[in-house]
Amino acid sequence: MLQVLIQGLLLSGLYALIAVGFTLIFSVGRVLNLAYGAYLLIGGYAYFYFAQTLGMPKFAGVLMAGIFGCVLGLLKFQLIVKPLKGNHVAIEISTLILAVFLQSTVIFVFGDSSKILLPIIPGVERVAGAAIPFSNLFAAIASWIILLSLWWFVRSTHMGRAMQAVSMDAKGAAISGVDANRVNMFTWGLSGALGAIAGVFFASYTQLYPGMWVAPLIIAVAVVIVGGIGSIIGTLIVAHIVGFLEILTSAYIAPELRGVFTMLLIIVILVWRPSGLFGREEL
Amino acid sequence: MAMLDIKNLNAFYGKAQALHDVSLSVEEGSIIAIVGANGAGKSTLLDSIMGLTQFTGDIHLDGRSIASARTRDIVASGVGYAPERFNLFPYMTVRDNLMVGAYTARGDISRNLDMVYRLFPRLKEREKQETSSQSGGERQMVSLGRALMSSPRLLIVDEPTIGLAPKVCLEIAEVLKRLRDDFSLTVLITEQNANFALSLAEQVQVLESGQLVASGTPAELSSDERLAAAYFGHA
Repeated sequence: MLQVLIQGLLLSGLYALIAVGFTLIFSVGRVLNLAYGAYLLIGGYAYFYFAQTLGMPKFAGVLMAGIFGCVLGLLKFQLIVKPLKGNHVAIEISTLILAVFLQSTVIFVFGDSSKILLPIIPGVERVAGAAIPFSNLFAAIASWIILLSLWWFVRSTHMGRAMQAVSMDAKGAAISGVDANRVNMFTWGLSGALGAIAGVFFASYTQLYPGMWVAPLIIAVAVVIVGGIGSIIGTLIVAHIVGFLEILTSAYIAPELRGVFTMLLIIVILVWRPSGLFGREEL
Repeated sequence: MAMLDIKNLNAFYGKAQALHDVSLSVEEGSIIAIVGANGAGKSTLLDSIMGLTQFTGDIHLDGRSIASARTRDIVASGVGYAPERFNLFPYMTVRDNLMVGAYTARGDISRNLDMVYRLFPRLKEREKQETSSQSGGERQMVSLGRALMSSPRLLIVDEPTIGLAPKVCLEIAEVLKRLRDDFSLTVLITEQNANFALSLAEQVQVLESGQLVASGTPAELSSDERLAAAYFGHA
């Protein structure tokens, strides 16, 4: 029981971090970014390359992952989203294709086989029969710190308030002197960096392999659909619902079915409450 | 030199032309009203000044063309806009709505916030409330307050009294007068409520189907029988 609680908390913190970058882009840019999982992929491999292949310090590896994700986000905005302005189907198809393209690039550069990320912090603690790798604990705590900082940022800075403003009323933001283009650029860069850092943690939780962008994308979509696009707090709550659902499923039913219930939950919510549990579209 | 000078403005919504060859100037320190029925093009005219529509023609602010300027630069050069539907941020507090208005005038926040709260004490009382839960009158105050947070010299207000109770209309009129008299702002408003416009403005322009058809002081316009019957509801 305690084991389930601990594992659920650790996993949910990570899921919240995975989902929040996706939520940001949907709220501010109104774009369903199906290439979101690619940030995690690129982040994981960037960390692998810089920290393990080149042997840079682990913190520097995480930083490089964040920078790669940020640049990828900015490029995606400038080269795909902005030219296709407002054409949602085209943006969704293009971003999905981009994710597949990046997967192929990763296979081309690093090969098809999966890689093991060494723990960011080595060591394991046993609590009530549950093995808690320090790496997972670090990932959960880091996720919480990042989410709380983000929550503070969005509420208390000019740029953060501008992001909320653009998400709630584009014209209102424009006549307040907010440049929506700059806010969008910033949000895409931030979303990419968050996704890539989440990718490092996610890969250290599971493993690093070229198809690792799919599962996080489903988690992010699930959090967004179940929660309704909402506040950062809403993302946190629903990430815990999804995280605990997975842990409970693998503990009491079968580990093979863990992802299945998340997807069933998506369908149930779509049918029963299309606007989500906390449904509103603003940040 | 006029503070705002609009020359031969033609504005479009898609292929439909909403404004035809509108020319208008606003002198510094005056209160000007544009009167017209629903759909006459009042909001399009104001949106065009803010760079939010497709248009041809020229618009000068203090002698400099702003016709191709970006909205944020127009705001930063001293034009505050309170639009008809307010366009507030519904799930942000009153105070945060005002803070977004300060985006281009961060050095003046404490002075402007103090001015807004002095003009609208009710906003100070409700600064922690989300605007989605507010009445129309309160939203109009937030909208005006947000526009004032950008340190404007020209304040543009689209239909300040629409949907508001008569008592609130008087309050708003009082504030607009104080902004001109005490804070040296120039004020440009649109109105369907011609009596409100006549009681407030020194100069009134009449907009009909996208064209300016008459202009004058309130006294001049009231004495024109044809206009009086058509726009001001009395013969």
